[in-house]
Amino acid sequence: MAGPLWPRTRRGSTDEALITSVYEEHGHALLAYATRLTGDRAAAEDVVQETLLRAWRHSEALVNGKGSVRGWLLTVARNIITDRYRAKAARPPEVSGAAAAPPVEVDHADSVVDTMTVLGALDRLTPEHRDVLTELYYRECSVAEAADRLGIPAGTVKSRAHYALKALREVFADGAREGNRSKRSGRPPQQPGGLREVVA
Amino acid sequence: MSRQRHEEELLGPYVLGVLDEADVRRVEEHVGDCVQCREEVAALREMERALGEVPAEAFLDGPPQGGDLLLRRTLRQVRSERAALARRRYGLAGLAAAAALAAVFWAGTQLGTGGSGNVAQAPPPSPAVSPAPSAVPGTRVASATDRGTGSRMTVQVVPAAAWVRVHAAVTGVPPGERCRLVVVSRDGTRSTAGGWVVGTAENGEGKGASLDGSAAVAAADVKEVLVENEAGKTFVSVPVRA
Repeated sequence: MAGPLWPRTRRGSTDEALITSVYEEHGHALLAYATRLTGDRAAAEDVVQETLLRAWRHSEALVNGKGSVRGWLLTVARNIITDRYRAKAARPPEVSGAAAAPPVEVDHADSVVDTMTVLGALDRLTPEHRDVLTELYYRECSVAEAADRLGIPAGTVKSRAHYALKALREVFADGAREGNRSKRSGRPPQQPGGLREVVA
Repeated sequence: MSRQRHEEELLGPYVLGVLDEADVRRVEEHVGDCVQCREEVAALREMERALGEVPAEAFLDGPPQGGDLLLRRTLRQVRSERAALARRRYGLAGLAAAAALAAVFWAGTQLGTGGSGNVAQAPPPSPAVSPAPSAVPGTRVASATDRGTGSRMTVQVVPAAAWVRVHAAVTGVPPGERCRLVVVSRDGTRSTAGGWVVGTAENGEGKGASLDGSAAVAAADVKEVLVENEAGKTFVSVPVRA
């Protein structure tokens, strides 16, 4: 029967387009992160695959909140790794089991939400503010290196870093007021319940 | 006075740990007898801790290096999950048909035939605890940043009967701009899915906006979604793949 086959094929191609676009935009970040946490490229690829599948099943969760899409994906990946690690730890120890260090902190209940929120907040900074924090904090550059990479004087790197942190605080305070979820201003706001459910 | 101001700007780099020893000493001396700056340091430290929630890898862009084997593997799994889902659905339909047959004909032979057919169609037992996909099939998500304007949009396009729902999150547009969310179809037709005026954040920059809209364009015909002001200046455009 040709009838029902046609819409299914079309639906298939859009599903695949969704996964392909997520993969092409976020795949590098996801795989690098999962590789560091698992210490194993093959295991990391499995984690990324599962993360993409969850993104496909819950595509509505990708853009429903203040958090960023990438933060959502990274959080899902981390939770998959943590759950697998927990599952392993729950089994009786194997005789020859390597006493590897825990790949991730086990208790991530609170930080789960924050990767998304913080990345979402960083997205809302100006590119100048975001760049200076990326260089100094995430790339661990010195002031001189950051000045060189960004093409601005060292003094500007310092003052810009200061105002970037202040702007970040404003974004959080703003989000907390908007969402009316956090009583203490300056605290990262919590995500809506639905998102937490999907991610946890 | 100017010295005071200069000190204040050092507090951010101080909590980030990027100052040299001489500057660190100056900040600590000053903070020692300035309550205001001490509180500022505490508040900024909380932001520094927040940054720690984001892994450094979050700033890598693009697909993984080394081929798309992983992508192809994932797409294969999606196809097989979808097939399993379809089988399950047909299985249920078969069950309903069998019940209807049984009610109408009351015939043991009919029931038997329907029953064995269902057994053959039942999905294989799966240990996966995958929840049923709650998304509308064919939903597409895409995002883009405009290098020129610095504006950013993530957009979700959800197919309806012969039109689409559009959910967009837009940041980086200057305050006061009167914006339109426009859906562009493959033949170049433009449909406005909504509009808003960019608010002012406390730091003087434009507030991000989260919008829901719709357009009378079939999902398969959506080429891109863009944000422009009333004068027609485009802030960011997100291509949407078919």
